[in-house]
Amino acid sequence: MLEKNLVLEVLKEVSKIANSAPDLNNTLQKIIEVIKNKMTFDACSIFLLEENGSRLKVGASCGLPEDLLAKIQLELGQGVTGWVAQTKTSLALSEAMKDPRFHYFPDLAEENFKSLLSVPMVADQQCIGVINVHTVDRREFSSLEINLLETIANQVSGCVRNILIYNQSQRLLKEQSILYDISLAVQTSLKLEHGLWIILSGITREEAGGFNRSILLTVNESSGELHGIMGLGPDSPEDAHRIWSSINHKRNGITEWIISEAEKDEYSRSGFNEFAKDLRFPIEAGNNIFAECVLKKTLFNINDGQNHPLVPKDFLQATGVNSFAIVPLISHEEVLGIIYVDNRYNYQEIVDSHLNLLTRFATHASWVIENSRLFNKLLDTNRELLTIKGQLIEYEKLSALGELSAEVAHEIKNPLVSIGGFARRLKEKIENFPAVPQQKKEIESASNYSEIIVTEVGRLESLLKNILIYSKSGALNVHQGSLNSLLKEVIEIFQTGLFIKKIKIDVCYSGELEPIPMDVQKIRQVLINILFNSVESMPQGGKITIETYLDTHLNREKMATVKVSDTGGGIMPEVLANIFNPFFTTKDSGTGLGLSISQKIIESHGGSIRVENNPGIGVIVYLFFPLKLSSDYTKP
Amino acid sequence: MTQELKKKKILVVDDEDNIRFLYKEELEDEGYSVTLADSAEQAMQRIEEDPPDLVTLDIKMPGMDGLEFLKILKEKDKSLPVILCSAYGSFKQDFRVWASDAYVVKSADLHELKLTIKEILEAA
Repeated sequence: MLEKNLVLEVLKEVSKIANSAPDLNNTLQKIIEVIKNKMTFDACSIFLLEENGSRLKVGASCGLPEDLLAKIQLELGQGVTGWVAQTKTSLALSEAMKDPRFHYFPDLAEENFKSLLSVPMVADQQCIGVINVHTVDRREFSSLEINLLETIANQVSGCVRNILIYNQSQRLLKEQSILYDISLAVQTSLKLEHGLWIILSGITREEAGGFNRSILLTVNESSGELHGIMGLGPDSPEDAHRIWSSINHKRNGITEWIISEAEKDEYSRSGFNEFAKDLRFPIEAGNNIFAECVLKKTLFNINDGQNHPLVPKDFLQATGVNSFAIVPLISHEEVLGIIYVDNRYNYQEIVDSHLNLLTRFATHASWVIENSRLFNKLLDTNRELLTIKGQLIEYEKLSALGELSAEVAHEIKNPLVSIGGFARRLKEKIENFPAVPQQKKEIESASNYSEIIVTEVGRLESLLKNILIYSKSGALNVHQGSLNSLLKEVIEIFQTGLFIKKIKIDVCYSGELEPIPMDVQKIRQVLINILFNSVESMPQGGKITIETYLDTHLNREKMATVKVSDTGGGIMPEVLANIFNPFFTTKDSGTGLGLSISQKIIESHGGSIRVENNPGIGVIVYLFFPLKLSSDYTKP
Repeated sequence: MTQELKKKKILVVDDEDNIRFLYKEELEDEGYSVTLADSAEQAMQRIEEDPPDLVTLDIKMPGMDGLEFLKILKEKDKSLPVILCSAYGSFKQDFRVWASDAYVVKSADLHELKLTIKEILEAA
């Protein structure tokens, strides 16, 4: 029989242990030792209910073969312990083996123990475990003993619950701090690759699930495949040891360390990374497990890859593992890719709590990818805006220049008319001068001088005319016209010149070109300009190839197209940027207005002109004309 | 003298002295009688003093410009032929130009102008 003093002593010791450091195993072990020794039992064990509440596992024991005990798992309701846990009722059996609820485990040699007292551990009306005590000799448990053990069980339940909550919050705290570290590091690096590396390195960190290796694969829309992007992990067990110990040394300032490591790009040289980057899996239902992960948007924890119908066997062979897990990367409902993890070197089982954290990392990785995509889009848009701004400035400059030249042209025109007009009169007067033979020579040269003035004024007048056309292109005089026949007409003009300059011409007219709306005079001018440039580029002879056809330009509407290629060696790079600038010319004669006028005319038709430069070979000029004019074609 | 009386009279209106002089020389060589005016106001005075058979009219002039003056001329006497002369062709788009009998872009070569004058006077 228990004395009151002993009862108090037991309770005092138990509560002392229960309030010590929150170490579950240690606490339970000490408590059952107190129970066994002070209350003179022969064996004692504590079973704990697993978190999901379906199975009981041994938490601590003494007086029983521990290694065998560790293997025992009881379903709720199974055996005496299972019954106690399910009914939350204490059970005292003086002849335990005779009870129908008794479940016999031969390994434990339970026949050695005659009597069994089993009490439930209840916290918040939930059973969290069971305390069992055994005696070798038959024993009738007294009500005081039962009461005392129930009291202890209550105290232990509170203690166990607190420790479990404490452990859980510790784990959550750790996860939060890792995620915080990672997100901090990711934000510091704008390079997509670095961001992803940081996340993969987080996944393989000990505190964060500590997966041995991880691979990132992304969905390639165009090929319909998963592509390996990077792999992080040691190449050998020795390598694994080296890396892990170096990480453990850098526990402080982990963020800085991660970032500096990412920038070293060292990871990209590992054999595992090379392997990961070559991975390709078609995204087809029922083809492979990775595709399933993408299509079903769920994670897979594969325990036995060899016997899984969707796991590629060559993949297992290459990775050297039989179990692994994969999670999808999802952003805005869309699967961007997957993350693969395995424990190649320590063979640790992949459990749910690790996968939960992995899923959170996956969310981070999705953000990184999405952010980088958005950032790149922003860069593209910005670049586009800058280009447009540049074009606008150019356009403004041109239109200012246009107005200025119109003004200047007008002011110059009148004096030119006078100079040229009087030079003509002068020439006539001189020629009609009744000269004596001795003066004939003098008169001839004077007439010649006037002739020069007349010719030069003619040149200036034609320059002014070009400038005025350029600055005031004016409205188009549009009729339906055939590009083919206009081209034939223009080539006819060049025929003699081409023959003299030893230039061959090869023309291929498309039969499907219907007449298009155009200002025939202006388009004739364009064609002459383009051909003239081609001819000028080939002083030693060469070949011009002309083709007309219907083209789909910029994936929009069909355009009537004229393609003119020459063999003049192309345009020098420094010249190329200026070819559409008015007054820019490489020729000794000419106004430099040819291409810019041509461009203006074609654009006023709603078309476009494109110059393809092949240095060392020649130039291809494309003229695109819309089949119908839009209403604003007359806009200057 | 009868020949002289039959000479067609042309009024040249232009603010540029040298252009006026050139036109006078050239047109007189063609056998016309030429009077000159350096502005719309002066031209109006000349027409009242001695009505011409044809007027060549510059568009861009200080004071009243050629297009305004054309309107006044045509309102006053629709049958008086007026040829607009301008340094550039862009005025061709201006609908007020339609009231004129012809439009000639100024050039050192006066061939086109002379031809136009001849055509208009012969048709009259």
